[in-house]
Amino acid sequence: MKQFRSMAYPYVFWINVMIVVPMLMIVMYAFTQKGNDVVTFRLTLDNFIYFFSDPIFVSVLKNSLVIAVVTTVICIFLGYPMAYLISQASDRWKVILVLLITVPMWINMLVRTYAWVGILQENGIINNLLGLMGIGLVKLLNTDFAVILGMVYNFIPFMILQIYTALSKMDPSYLEAASDLGANKVESFLRITLPLSLPGVLSGITLVFLPAVSSFFIPKLLGGGQYVLIGNVIESQFLISGNWNFGSAISLIMAVIIMISMYITKKVDREGQSKGGVR
Amino acid sequence: MRKLIQFKNIVKEFDGQLVLKGINLDIYENEFVTLLGPSGCGKTTLLRILGGFLTPDEGQVIFDNEDITQLPPYKREINTVFQKYALFPHLNVYENVAFGLTIKKEPKDVIQQKVMRMLKLVGLEDYGERKVTEMSGGQQQRVAIARALVNEPMVLLLDEPLGALDLKMRKEMQHELKKIQKEVGITFVFVTHDQEEALTMSDKIVVMKDGGIQQIGSPTDIYNEPVNEYVAKFIGESNIIDGVMVKDEEVIFEDKHFACLDKGFAPNEKVDVVIRPEDLDIVPKENGKLKGIVKSVLFKGVHYETIVETRAGTSITVQMRVSEDKPVVNTEANEMMSANDFYLDISDIDELTDSDIIARANAQAWDAKTEDWISINKVEYNIEPANGTYPVTFSTQAGTMISANMIVRDVNRIVSKEYQEEIFAVNFFQKVDEIKESMALDTDLKTWANASAWSLEDDSAVEITEVVYDFDPENIEPGVYDVTFKTEGYEYMVDTTDRYEVGDEVGLLFGPEDIHIMKKGGY
Repeated sequence: MKQFRSMAYPYVFWINVMIVVPMLMIVMYAFTQKGNDVVTFRLTLDNFIYFFSDPIFVSVLKNSLVIAVVTTVICIFLGYPMAYLISQASDRWKVILVLLITVPMWINMLVRTYAWVGILQENGIINNLLGLMGIGLVKLLNTDFAVILGMVYNFIPFMILQIYTALSKMDPSYLEAASDLGANKVESFLRITLPLSLPGVLSGITLVFLPAVSSFFIPKLLGGGQYVLIGNVIESQFLISGNWNFGSAISLIMAVIIMISMYITKKVDREGQSKGGVR
Repeated sequence: MRKLIQFKNIVKEFDGQLVLKGINLDIYENEFVTLLGPSGCGKTTLLRILGGFLTPDEGQVIFDNEDITQLPPYKREINTVFQKYALFPHLNVYENVAFGLTIKKEPKDVIQQKVMRMLKLVGLEDYGERKVTEMSGGQQQRVAIARALVNEPMVLLLDEPLGALDLKMRKEMQHELKKIQKEVGITFVFVTHDQEEALTMSDKIVVMKDGGIQQIGSPTDIYNEPVNEYVAKFIGESNIIDGVMVKDEEVIFEDKHFACLDKGFAPNEKVDVVIRPEDLDIVPKENGKLKGIVKSVLFKGVHYETIVETRAGTSITVQMRVSEDKPVVNTEANEMMSANDFYLDISDIDELTDSDIIARANAQAWDAKTEDWISINKVEYNIEPANGTYPVTFSTQAGTMISANMIVRDVNRIVSKEYQEEIFAVNFFQKVDEIKESMALDTDLKTWANASAWSLEDDSAVEITEVVYDFDPENIEPGVYDVTFKTEGYEYMVDTTDRYEVGDEVGLLFGPEDIHIMKKGGY
């Protein structure tokens, strides 16, 4: 093994320069004031106090979390049946269906989101069709609906693939055993398939919730200029206001929230392993 | 006893391959039935049809006077212990065992009592809270049995449940399973390929082969009176000898008359005679019903497996002339070449080809440095269809040459009237180096001597089982050596507690009850 150890050095270097150092810089910026130079920095909690004392920021944060949770829940309820169908399909169909789900991911996310703008806007496809049917103009773009739609659309493949992997790894003899013990199809699903696929659902949640809570271009494009989620606030602090310290503080708050949510998911996952649906 | 399960002409096909060829089988209440056979015989398919996991293409499964052929598994009063147990990994031991009862929505306290009783039966009462993934194979096995039995099924199916356990554990579980079956008093249908397991546990054994049933019977019936050679061989090692049934209760084999207990054969019908190794006794030569020589002794833990040859097979002896000839060296072309003299049977001359001659003379040419083979492109000879010695010259493109002699002699073959077979071999020449370098000398000697044997009845090949020589291949010197090739004679496997030496002259003793007669070609 020893001779391979040196092969990890480039990676260690990469981690340090590209991940650890920037993280430390975010922490450093978050706890200091604007206008520091390298020699004199003064530690302060002002950035955090500013964030939590302003009701606007707190409500933006709350809003972001709500949107992300709604997105995740929709992804579970749409993604699970889809993943289940794929896992039940014949081998040939499995390949085709998985491909259909992954193919859109080959195209840049930004481009796909722009496409939704075209579909949803006032002279877009949907409103044109509705107009033909005699239904008046419906405001679709620049709504919560549009933002959630955009997020679900972009992030649902992660949910489907995670659940599908968990389902296809399951030993079919469990279902035979359940059937042997008197469980019909519905009972087998609820008591065996569902609890055994839970780890897949949980890692799907992680993969959907994290990008959803911090996304900034989807709300920007589909929610319109006034639509502000926490991702947009961070973006504007860095790019428009030039207040890196405050931006870093918000990023750090997000990071803590994400860490807490990941911890909870892990915990649920571990309990799910030992105690399942049957009680 | 009541018929509980009836298979009626069950046929099952997978991808155009017939896996079950019309199975008819009755299983009674409280029976321990074993489906026994090698892998691929259809035993597991039959079990899965009974469990409801497969539907037969033809035929019916009758359970308790009801046709259940199309009934899904969850509606059958049958439970299964799966090959790899299929315990639910997300549930603990208690929850696994309680699964079936929970599905049936039995009251909590009833479930509790039943599960605890069942865990006690399999000796796991303190393990309820354990994760199933943390248990040993034997414990998982017990959980699987408890999980199935707690539902109080009328039949328990076991699909090679002991296959994953080590030998000691397997023996233990065999007794355990038998004990459990007696205690709960239900029908067990057990699938295995292990004949010993089948013999120790079953009330009834169903021997299967290629999707059909060979024999159904109690372990003693199957062991003592196998219907054919297949069953006899599968159920345990056995001596099977050709014989003729003179009349009821009298059989001839090895030219001697013996009393037996079998009846109902046609007069002078040819039969297979089965004598189990443990039914034979080795006694002093003069007291035996048959006489023989001990050929090999193998210690099997509890007894010695002794092979006694009562009659040698057909044998032929040829001479091997060993020389130290060195290869011819052509320094100009940097080539080396070698060839042996060889013997030819006069009947071989008609069909002699160049490549035959090269092979029989073992003629080779190679590059002196790289040792790469060089093709021999010219074979020159002049042969006449009469005994004599004819020279042959081999040469390569580069002009390297070597000569050898083809020696034509009369047919050298031995016919055995008794075994109705013929054996053939020729004298041959060989080099010291070739013998020293041989990796499988017996096989090489057969090739060099062109030795073969065949049956006079149908021309089928007869195996040469023994090659006898008295030189030491490691340190062989040039000279002439005898090599003898033998076919198998009459050999008896005997289980003895005493140790005999190879070469001992002994007698074999057995009684009329030890002789079992089977119809010829019964499978």
